[in-house]
Amino acid sequence: MSSMRILACFRVTPDYEALRESAWSAAARRSLSSSGGAETGHDESAGARHDEIAGPAGFVDTRFVRRILDCFDESALELALRLSDALVGLGVTSGLGALSVGTPDADPHLKTLLALGFERAARVHTEAALDFAPAATAAVIAAYIRRLDRRDLLMLGARSGPGGDATVPFRVADELGWPCLTQATGVEPLADGRLRVTVMTDDGLQRLTARTPCVLAVGNAVVSHLRVPTLTDRLAVRDRRPDILEPADLGVDLTDALRREGPSLTTLEGIDRRRQSILIEGDTPRAKAQALFDLRLKSLLEDL
Amino acid sequence: MRFAAVLDGTSAASADVTATVVHRQSAALGAFLRGGLDTRATGETLVFYDDERGKDRLIELAPTRDVRLLRTGSRAFERMAALLGTQAEGGQTDLFLFAGGPAGTELATRLACRSGGEVLTDVLGAEAAQDRLSCRRSIYSGHLMGRFELSARPWCISVDLSWADSDEPEAIEHVLLSDTDERDGCGPGPFEDREPLESPSAGDLAASRLVVVAGSGAGDRRGVERIAAAARQMGATLGVTRPVAMNAWAPMDRLIGVSGARTAPALCIVAGASGAPAFYWGIEKAGLIVAVDIDEHAPIVRDADLVLLDDAVAIVEELAAIVAAEREAR
Repeated sequence: MSSMRILACFRVTPDYEALRESAWSAAARRSLSSSGGAETGHDESAGARHDEIAGPAGFVDTRFVRRILDCFDESALELALRLSDALVGLGVTSGLGALSVGTPDADPHLKTLLALGFERAARVHTEAALDFAPAATAAVIAAYIRRLDRRDLLMLGARSGPGGDATVPFRVADELGWPCLTQATGVEPLADGRLRVTVMTDDGLQRLTARTPCVLAVGNAVVSHLRVPTLTDRLAVRDRRPDILEPADLGVDLTDALRREGPSLTTLEGIDRRRQSILIEGDTPRAKAQALFDLRLKSLLEDL
Repeated sequence: MRFAAVLDGTSAASADVTATVVHRQSAALGAFLRGGLDTRATGETLVFYDDERGKDRLIELAPTRDVRLLRTGSRAFERMAALLGTQAEGGQTDLFLFAGGPAGTELATRLACRSGGEVLTDVLGAEAAQDRLSCRRSIYSGHLMGRFELSARPWCISVDLSWADSDEPEAIEHVLLSDTDERDGCGPGPFEDREPLESPSAGDLAASRLVVVAGSGAGDRRGVERIAAAARQMGATLGVTRPVAMNAWAPMDRLIGVSGARTAPALCIVAGASGAPAFYWGIEKAGLIVAVDIDEHAPIVRDADLVLLDDAVAIVEELAAIVAAEREAR
């Protein structure tokens, strides 16, 4: 193989861990007070069908929370860069592309990827919430590859979005007729154009050889942070912009796809995990540890 | 309602590993059928296998009385999905059930894509009502529970692996309805040269009665190492949160939570972890949870039995010294 064209897909997501507890309970309360459906953070009178959601904040109000790369997608982007570097070392031309589907929240990240050496960075624009729309998301990604940008390898996170959805890689693979490996944690090129992939399977950790085209869905990789471009790298691409496409450019009727999307999220509920929360007090760490030991741990440890 | 529970008994690993994997699938599906599916349903188990020698054990593990065996190539998921699609064409099966995990997720998704059905993964509970299947699953990284409605059949769901924590599968007198060889058309498969690796095993975490978890409140790699040393001194198994594993302050096989190990110790000491829901899923079965954190507003403070508001490393080290002294005195 003289070239391998790689596409890495990613989602930009609110940092849910930065949300206050009150935001979650408010979302659950809105849901419980509605008649038959959860409601959006923007419009409390709206129902909660995929095609009616007012904006990408979706069901929980995340307007004031910073946006981050979905963690598994971030691993996929960095692994794609490392694979590309390794291919160059083997004398294989590597075309590296990046794709995101959604709002302009992704654009700063796409610019970063251009600075890191991605030859192409594209966003399929939609203001519709795709948080719980894996079928529509997969349809856009598959159409992008089939109609606009033929690729040999698709890399993306094994799970993404607030639903923790794990079906998008398989949906894309099925639509393209490609095989898919999920929970990939490492990938290296072989001289004959195939890939040596490390995956966590139901049987345990395995290494296997994959032919392209295929989909690699990245799981708990040790490689978890995207490298940072230098100022020089950023300046080199200061005039470049991501390609912004509409779903219609790819032949996708997103409104129709969202209308047909299923399953539908109908209700949100809070999860009560509270326990006794008894405070152990003391003047020093030693005193607190001793109080804990005397109160419960001594008898408990004797029984273990 | 009629269902088919699907077990993947194909494997690149040994017969013993395969039986262990299928046992876990069956435990999850059996427990879900008994306690998670709130609808009267009858059904059968479809077992994919690739090794003639292990099939009797696989039949014994089926969570239903009626069993059908389908022999395919190892890990031939596209072929397996096609066979399930053929079964779905008859319209006799409303619900296909899979155990959570990579194989179950792939089969459920590909089947739904090919049959025009709908798929939902990691399901915690389900009930049928008015031509729809209503399912619960955790969303927003475990912050909320979502209720989803599936309409287009077949409904393809994978059940959350926490169902595998439940009791042992019931003793069932199985009836083998069919055993078909479907290896034709499997081909060599897209993936070759499978090589099992020395798996970083989290098995010790799952079985441990005493777990100490280090979170990012440990401060840095040195802090995690100090907590690990204290855990060893106490005879505890070390677990870590995702940020700690992602920073490479501890090996990935120590990870506890949705993307790591699920534990059920008698005592779990959580040192310097905020208690994000995705992590908490991995310790929620603990008998006693002790939280050590400097942040009194951290979720773990509310979700623990006992709380110490202090430096995580200092407290765990003091505790280890006390435990060691007590053991020596005895």
